Amino acid sequence: MIRAIGVVMILGLLLSGSLLAQDANRILSRVDSVINAPKDQKATMKMILVDKQGNQKIRQAEFMQKGSEKRLLRFTAPADQKGIAFLSLPNDVQYLYMPAFHKVRRIASHVKNTKFAGTDFTYDDLSAFSYSRDFNARLLETNDQFWVLELTPKPGVEKDYGKLKMWVRRDNYYPVKVEFYDPAGNLWKIMERRQITRVGNYWVAREMEMQDLKEQHRTIIQLDDISFDLNLPDKYFTRRYLKRGK
Amino acid sequence: MKRILSLALVFGICFVAWLEAQITTSGYVQTYNRMRLQQNGKYTWNENRLGLVWEGNFSDRVYVYSKVRLRAFGLPVVSQTADLQRREKDRVLPWTLEFREAYVEVYDFLLPNLDLRVGRQRIAWGTGDGLNPTDNLNPDDLEDIFDFGRHFPTNALMMTYYLNDLSLQMVYIPVFTPAILPFGDWAEAFRASMPVPPYLRIRSYQDRVLLPENRLSQTSSFAAKVSGTLFSYDWSLSYYVGRDDLPILTNLTLTPSEVPPAYDVQAELVFPRFRVLGADMAGEIMGVGIWAEAALFFPDRIDGVLRIASPAGTHVQKRQVLKDEPYLKFLIGADYTFKNGWYINGQFLRGFIHERGRDELVDYLLVRLEKRAWNDALKIVPFGIALAIPDWSRYRDNFGFAGGPQISYHPVDALEVSIGAFIIEGKGDNLFSKVKQLDEGFLKVTYSF
Repeated sequence: MIRAIGVVMILGLLLSGSLLAQDANRILSRVDSVINAPKDQKATMKMILVDKQGNQKIRQAEFMQKGSEKRLLRFTAPADQKGIAFLSLPNDVQYLYMPAFHKVRRIASHVKNTKFAGTDFTYDDLSAFSYSRDFNARLLETNDQFWVLELTPKPGVEKDYGKLKMWVRRDNYYPVKVEFYDPAGNLWKIMERRQITRVGNYWVAREMEMQDLKEQHRTIIQLDDISFDLNLPDKYFTRRYLKRGK
Repeated sequence: MKRILSLALVFGICFVAWLEAQITTSGYVQTYNRMRLQQNGKYTWNENRLGLVWEGNFSDRVYVYSKVRLRAFGLPVVSQTADLQRREKDRVLPWTLEFREAYVEVYDFLLPNLDLRVGRQRIAWGTGDGLNPTDNLNPDDLEDIFDFGRHFPTNALMMTYYLNDLSLQMVYIPVFTPAILPFGDWAEAFRASMPVPPYLRIRSYQDRVLLPENRLSQTSSFAAKVSGTLFSYDWSLSYYVGRDDLPILTNLTLTPSEVPPAYDVQAELVFPRFRVLGADMAGEIMGVGIWAEAALFFPDRIDGVLRIASPAGTHVQKRQVLKDEPYLKFLIGADYTFKNGWYINGQFLRGFIHERGRDELVDYLLVRLEKRAWNDALKIVPFGIALAIPDWSRYRDNFGFAGGPQISYHPVDALEVSIGAFIIEGKGDNLFSKVKQLDEGFLKVTYSF
């Protein structure tokens, strides 16, 4: 009898764990559907790089995204980076255009986890992506304001991060904070999304900060001139468009 | 006077560009200085540049680009007082104005997805890093031997048609433009050995370079390329019909000087015609970036004559300078970034820019190691070398390498300061051993605006 109760308890625990995981994965899917909700979007981007002494460097870029899988980013400043453009396509395909070499180069996966143009974001961080496609979620905590999820890369997904910890707003499913841990479990980076406002039908964070604790460096991204659902044509997300001037 | 007018014209255009809101102006200021590490610190490279770019979209379908370079380059060339009194000051302060690029691009020209670009432009082909056997459209700019792989733009008409992942590119270049060769001590690197008996001593050398006759049938080149993506790899196939931009020695006349057995040499050089079938690819295998590029050259046969005059008469020997048999240049490369941030790039190349014919192709191994730090503000290259091995069975007796360390630092946005060294060593007869003992250190500062 005692053994039977034990078995029932273990099954119950497993079942509740599984339900929690299902809840967590459902929350993560909602997160994706909120941050990738617009059919397409266009904005200008200001990246402020701040080192540990407080010195700043500024990058500016134009940004376009279609759905959750196509994204194009083109630098407009500073002058030595102007024209450098990055295209992210489905199936982890990424291209970089370097005007100085007059060439579009495909980015191999070893580059995807390196810093993008000196920022604290990697190429992978700046790609169009979906959390739920790449990570399994586990619900760690629920409070009045947030769900706290732990994300671990799905088998076969190559990430430099061992796990992520994500704070998701309960009122609108917007992820306001993400902690990135290295494979050894040490806290490595912290990303915070701020100035979260509703523009038309969509929630958007106008400011995002990524802090690299190891390098004591942070990058603040400010979005401006944001517009949604412009019916951006697919041809904007091609190699042809990537190397177009100005 | 002509130069002053040119300069006034450039600044006039610049001023108009400022006024014209559709045009943006950008550019850079650069100083590049090199010094021999041997030869008591001979100063070899004294260059200051102002590069200016104007570009703009006059509509969604038209893009205009232009680039000029004002350049103070070289050391004072003064041999008499009059050189110091010239109003142009060009003997004391040598400078040039280079018209680099000027083209108009029209998107969806005549047909949807058909782009036209016409004017002086750089058309870069190939997936190799810096060295591209299939990149034969623009002439080589070998002025700086340490910046091999550089080309300069030429007048061309290029049309590209896009169909999903595929693109078809057609290029027509009406004017033949020869390559720029290294100057000074570096000229030795690309100097072909003369087919004269070794016991003959050469007292003087003069040559005549014969450009193709100014007719479109002689000066034009044409190329086509189809590119696409297949099984997660980017690839392209290309075909080029044109001329080699490096001249080849054809006729040689040796006349005895007043002091026998020395001879005066008169040489003739021409630019051979060839066709090139090219292919390239890029992708990755297990996270390692890979690329490959191959160019099969079909040269026209070139014959030459060697004439050796002597009191007994003139000895005439006909010789085949370039065989009309195909030869293959190719490159394979790979790169990888380790978890600790170190980046390594390696390439194997058969056939350098100036090598022609099956028997002349040499193997090269190029390796570069680099590490970026401080959020890309600092780039350290402990070594970036090119190793030449003409004959693997005799690699101990015939080898050469060139390259060295470099550090680049971006203290503030748009400013780059680089220091480094080029070390050259070698043995036997190869590209690098011909110029060994010309090691140099350099300082380059660039500010972009």
